[in-house]
Amino acid sequence: MRTAYLALEAKRALRNPRFLMFTVVFPVVIFVIDVAAFGKGAVPDSNGVPYTSLLMVSLAAFGGFMAAMNTGARTAVERASGWQRQLRLTPLKPTGYLVAKGAVGTLVALPPIVLVSLVGVLVEGVHLSGGAWAQVVLGAWVATIPFAVLGLLVGQLATAETMQVFTSGLMIVLGFLGGILIPVQVFPSWLSHISMVLPSYWLSQIGQGALFGNDNLGKAILWLAAWTVVFAFLVVRRYQRDSARV
Amino acid sequence: MNEATRGTGYGQQGPGRAEVSAGAAVSLSGLRKHYGEVRAVDGVDLVIAPGEVVALLGPNGAGKSTTVDMLLGLSNPDSGEARIFGQTPRDAVAAGAVGAMLQEGSLLDDATVGETVAMIASLHRKPMPVAEALRRANVEDLSGRMCTKLSGGQKQRVRFAVALVCDPHLLVLDEPTSAMDVGTRREFWQSMKEFTEAGKTVLFATHYLDEAEEFADRVVLMRSGRIVADGSVAEVRSVVSGRTLTAQVSGATQSAMRTLPGVRGADVRGERVALDCADSDATIRALITTYPQAYDIEIKALGLEEAFLALTGDNEGGTR
Repeated sequence: MRTAYLALEAKRALRNPRFLMFTVVFPVVIFVIDVAAFGKGAVPDSNGVPYTSLLMVSLAAFGGFMAAMNTGARTAVERASGWQRQLRLTPLKPTGYLVAKGAVGTLVALPPIVLVSLVGVLVEGVHLSGGAWAQVVLGAWVATIPFAVLGLLVGQLATAETMQVFTSGLMIVLGFLGGILIPVQVFPSWLSHISMVLPSYWLSQIGQGALFGNDNLGKAILWLAAWTVVFAFLVVRRYQRDSARV
Repeated sequence: MNEATRGTGYGQQGPGRAEVSAGAAVSLSGLRKHYGEVRAVDGVDLVIAPGEVVALLGPNGAGKSTTVDMLLGLSNPDSGEARIFGQTPRDAVAAGAVGAMLQEGSLLDDATVGETVAMIASLHRKPMPVAEALRRANVEDLSGRMCTKLSGGQKQRVRFAVALVCDPHLLVLDEPTSAMDVGTRREFWQSMKEFTEAGKTVLFATHYLDEAEEFADRVVLMRSGRIVADGSVAEVRSVVSGRTLTAQVSGATQSAMRTLPGVRGADVRGERVALDCADSDATIRALITTYPQAYDIEIKALGLEEAFLALTGDNEGGTR
């Protein structure tokens, strides 16, 4: 019976026109434009990894984490409208609701990752080994889990009106500072130290590991798992407090 | 339990409550909820037997919604307890024994009517078929429509389907008809009849007295967080003694009407006279003697509305 619930939640998330625009179309368009503008040649000191490949894994990661985060953040609307109260009148437990929403957030992160990768192969001629593709698509997808949970936290903290400000702010902090939209290498060293704490930096390392070698993979997994635990702890605490207050 | 009680409600507490509430659909005992200085609910005792249709009346801020929230387990009482068919609210909700239409509950803005009801159904253990819930709420034809494209009255009916789909034994409705026009309200109560005729229990909060009068077996009146009257419509009505006498009296004046025996208050508009009588028998005798040409005379018992005003009108409690 819960699969029917999950399916309907996923359908809602995927149907949202803003979702399609900002998290599926937007990263693909930026990818194509970026390749046209900066896609010539290879990344320095990389044994000839083309810039196009780096842009592809970066924008796949960007689309993935934005989709995951936005889905969770939209729970702010359900909270404001009283729908969460209606759900409290069903056997669905608070943790069940949060897990379902987190799962849907993670699920909808897959389309942008797949789409950017497909454009990479079919349009921009990116070549990778089978294992590298698995890491770029499936690895990056799994790595969006902390962002789905972060989105839920935003959904619990923001109101329906301020949700947009929260997600835009996080997009800038995580996208730019995390080295997804611009490479960390261009930052002064103090700033790159900050960016290496952010979950988005470690998300980008998953895809980039497939291109440049997996020296950082263990560290990336640990960081992402740690962020997932921290965000989940905050979400559950916040949700319980919110329930008690209503 | 059913006699009209007027006053503070103190007399309702006592050791006998637990036995009384055994087998009850709803049992609230000593329920209290304070928000800072505001005593939103200040000692509510209420037992509803299975099959009863009970209207919860009261002015804004009387504590109706807070009481409903505690009954449903959406908020915890500061003291006292709520039971639904002997279970805690949470257990009753988990068992699908109670369905509710909340006052501010809205629908999803990115799902169709059918999907919304199906989503709630998918979470319950023994739901009725979605199509059945839609039919009973009279919204079958709206199944494929997005919830954002509904009128206020249609939204309420869809929310009724959401409340029904778990196939509950108890329905709790917080101002269910507030966004409906007269025709839709009638249809809504028609669908409700199908539910109550199956022997199910309904508790509804409303500010439409005519709805309470027409559809409830029993009326519970709240003021300042307390129950001030509880009984059948006739019983609650009788709490306010006296009758209204109306007549056409030529040459009537306000002061002359007031001096008639048995009259508490008079309203004179041209020839039309409305008298609030403590003893209408004495008044009519005097009226006929003094004004033999008086005609169109009508004497009515005070309605629920007058009872409501009399019981909830004075503000010594301060409702917020």
